[in-house]
Amino acid sequence: MLRFITRRLGISVLIIVLAVSLMFGMIHMIPGDPTSVILGPRATPELRAELNQRMGLDQPMAVQLGRFLGKVARGDLGEDPFSQRPVAEIVFEQLPFTLILVFTAIGAATLLGVPLGCFSAIRRDSWLDRASAVLSVAFIAIPSFVVALYALLLFSVRWQWFPAIGAGESGDIADQVHHLVLPAMALGLGWVGYIARLVRSSMLEVMEENHVRTARAFGLPEHVIIGRYALRIAILPTVTILGLGIGTMLSGALFAEIVFSRPGIGKLLHEAVMTRNYPVVMGSVLVTTVFFVVSTLVSDILNAILDPRLRGAGDQQ
Amino acid sequence: MINNPIFNAPFVNRRDFLKQTTLASLGMVAANLPGTTWAVDGNVLHIRNYQDVKSLDPVSMLSGAEGLIGNAMFLNLVKFQPGDSWEWELDAAEYFEQLDETHYAFRLRPGIQFTNGFGEMTAEDVKYSLERIVDPAMKSPNAGEMGPLSHVEITGRYSGVIVLDSPYSAFIPIGLCTSSGGIHSKKALESVGGQYGIEPPACSGPYRFVSWQAQRKTILERNSEWSGPPAAFREIHLYPLNDVKAGELAYEAGELECTQTSIESVEVFRKAMPAFSRLDLISSLRYYWVGMNMEHPKLTDIRVRQAVQYGIDVEAVIEAAWFGLATPATGIIAPGLIGYREKADVPLAGDREKAKRLLAEAGVELPLKLTMSLPALAMEMTAGQVIQWSLAKIGIELELDPQDNATLITMGMESAGDRWKDLQLHLQSFFMLGDPYYATVWFVDKQVGVWNWERFRSEEFDQLHDLAMRLTDIGERDRIYQRMQHLMEQSGCYRFLAHSVESLLSRTWFEPAYRADGYPMYRDFKLSGPGRV
Repeated sequence: MLRFITRRLGISVLIIVLAVSLMFGMIHMIPGDPTSVILGPRATPELRAELNQRMGLDQPMAVQLGRFLGKVARGDLGEDPFSQRPVAEIVFEQLPFTLILVFTAIGAATLLGVPLGCFSAIRRDSWLDRASAVLSVAFIAIPSFVVALYALLLFSVRWQWFPAIGAGESGDIADQVHHLVLPAMALGLGWVGYIARLVRSSMLEVMEENHVRTARAFGLPEHVIIGRYALRIAILPTVTILGLGIGTMLSGALFAEIVFSRPGIGKLLHEAVMTRNYPVVMGSVLVTTVFFVVSTLVSDILNAILDPRLRGAGDQQ
Repeated sequence: MINNPIFNAPFVNRRDFLKQTTLASLGMVAANLPGTTWAVDGNVLHIRNYQDVKSLDPVSMLSGAEGLIGNAMFLNLVKFQPGDSWEWELDAAEYFEQLDETHYAFRLRPGIQFTNGFGEMTAEDVKYSLERIVDPAMKSPNAGEMGPLSHVEITGRYSGVIVLDSPYSAFIPIGLCTSSGGIHSKKALESVGGQYGIEPPACSGPYRFVSWQAQRKTILERNSEWSGPPAAFREIHLYPLNDVKAGELAYEAGELECTQTSIESVEVFRKAMPAFSRLDLISSLRYYWVGMNMEHPKLTDIRVRQAVQYGIDVEAVIEAAWFGLATPATGIIAPGLIGYREKADVPLAGDREKAKRLLAEAGVELPLKLTMSLPALAMEMTAGQVIQWSLAKIGIELELDPQDNATLITMGMESAGDRWKDLQLHLQSFFMLGDPYYATVWFVDKQVGVWNWERFRSEEFDQLHDLAMRLTDIGERDRIYQRMQHLMEQSGCYRFLAHSVESLLSRTWFEPAYRADGYPMYRDFKLSGPGRV
């Protein structure tokens, strides 16, 4: 198990360096001069040169990348040229909003999707199964930003049940939860359908396996067979998908954050790209990449814990 | 309801309990409906700020959104009056006079207090505040607004003379009335090392800073040490909403009391106005034009450029992109400002026959293929499509090249490589301040390849620009700026489109106050009835 985790960690670091380097190249390839965007018409040649120097833009790209990675290794993500605040501070004050949103969405989707998938598999071809299939496909088919827009128009503007903007007052948990409902629903709804379909098909497969038939032959109660012997195996693909899903949701959160004017890393990244605020773009990309890699790693480890064969396969490789 | 004989207290049965809790719940829900909860005091204004705050120090402020907050917290010597003119009035000064072309005398009102125990405002604070903006060591991007400010001479505890190195007629509207002219406490600034980011060490205006949460909100509160008429609101909460539509929806959802709206929503709101609301339309200083790079091989012939000028139907563009609400531009100077022209040289609707004739005279093979770069925004794209249609009528095939702002902003800049050489037409808009100097300054020879992307060069234009900056005679300045816009138009490099319009929604329980270009002046907002908690 230790070798398995060590190997995965090594790959993770490699992925992070590669992703950050690619992003670094890409953001510099987009035309647009950050000093002009930042300073606007006030940009005198002297100020421009000073800001270029402060952002390290007067150096070749390879040098800039080397410096950035070197700083990252020391835990320094640079400085925001607009506010002159440390990028790490800016990114980490926004990250919790996105994480709360993503985990609420994925948590709610899992809580709804897994039982829905299980019931559909157990009551195969029943009306519940058919209704669940229709709903699941509908949830998957509607893009999250469409759900967000309609949720905003109906529940915030028309009925005024939920707030339209922001993340709630600091320290007021109830207010924050109130502000979280619509964005989380918009982000997680598609995943309810996705998880339900995945769990259903895995369950149907597992329910036909020998160990489940043996358990039945031993006269074990149905809920024990489903919970302990079937679902434990059937959930494996879902755990893997959830790991990737958290990463996907990080990018999906952007829409929810923009539509609901909610603070978060997606909104921060969007604004930073639009203003060519390179240090904040790089800091945000780095943090989201790390988060994505960590969530994939955790799902790999969870899979290995749930299914010992995976650990063995890893060792053989 | 029956009495409980054991405790001699009212006994609530299940039916009564349900009835009472339902009524209580309904009452609570009703109390939270927007516009239904009213209080005599304790008013909070929730308002859209179009951008998040990065710095509130005038030395490093970069956006107008920051300036608006600054104006609520700091006094200037003089400030703009709310309303539709660019008149200024005394603020911290009880006396202000221009002595000659380069000297301005002032005397402060005694008794203006800075917050946080930093004492009374004196002439020393004025000197420190103005001089630090132009201090080369501060490297302030706003130093240009102060123009040739030399220094401030202190003549008494409250009085002094501001000295310029050379005449600068925009000194009052651009230097003193904007946030760069905000007076800070010398003692307070020195206590934080001479500069700050978001939290000012001391305020002097009707509102004071409370808190800022990145991407969430900025809170100001009534300044209890303010000696002037008390501020209308107990607190002002400013929400950074970059998207104007988000502001509209939040307003409709009852979460904001004041916001800008998009132009396309004006008609929607006029037909179905939210409860207790008003809609104000105010001419903006932002001017839109189509610029032509006169050094591009396809546009070196002035007749081709003039054909484009005459080919564009500005009336149709305004009707489609601004729903007929914007003011047709006769130049770069908006109505109400010195130098505004009543009429442009090229007719509003253009003149297709003349345009065709010009193209024929230039010997251009039709269709002539041109490209226009423009912001990838809905309104600009609509304007671009109408221009495309207009020019198609005279045999010009116009390709639209939408770009995001950060890309577009450098397309004509020589510092951003050779892309300026490929630039042909561009649809552009500039914001300006309350003096025509701020409009013409971008089109002088020195700005070629910086902000002057048309590469328009005119010795007369440059001379007039310098002259107008030194003059104080309003009539003379007016004539000069009109002539300058005529020179721009005559070069064939510009087709002026529109002066935009600001549309603002607000609740009727207070009177909003706007600058002549539609920007909110928070400190001048007044209550017109009981406010909402």
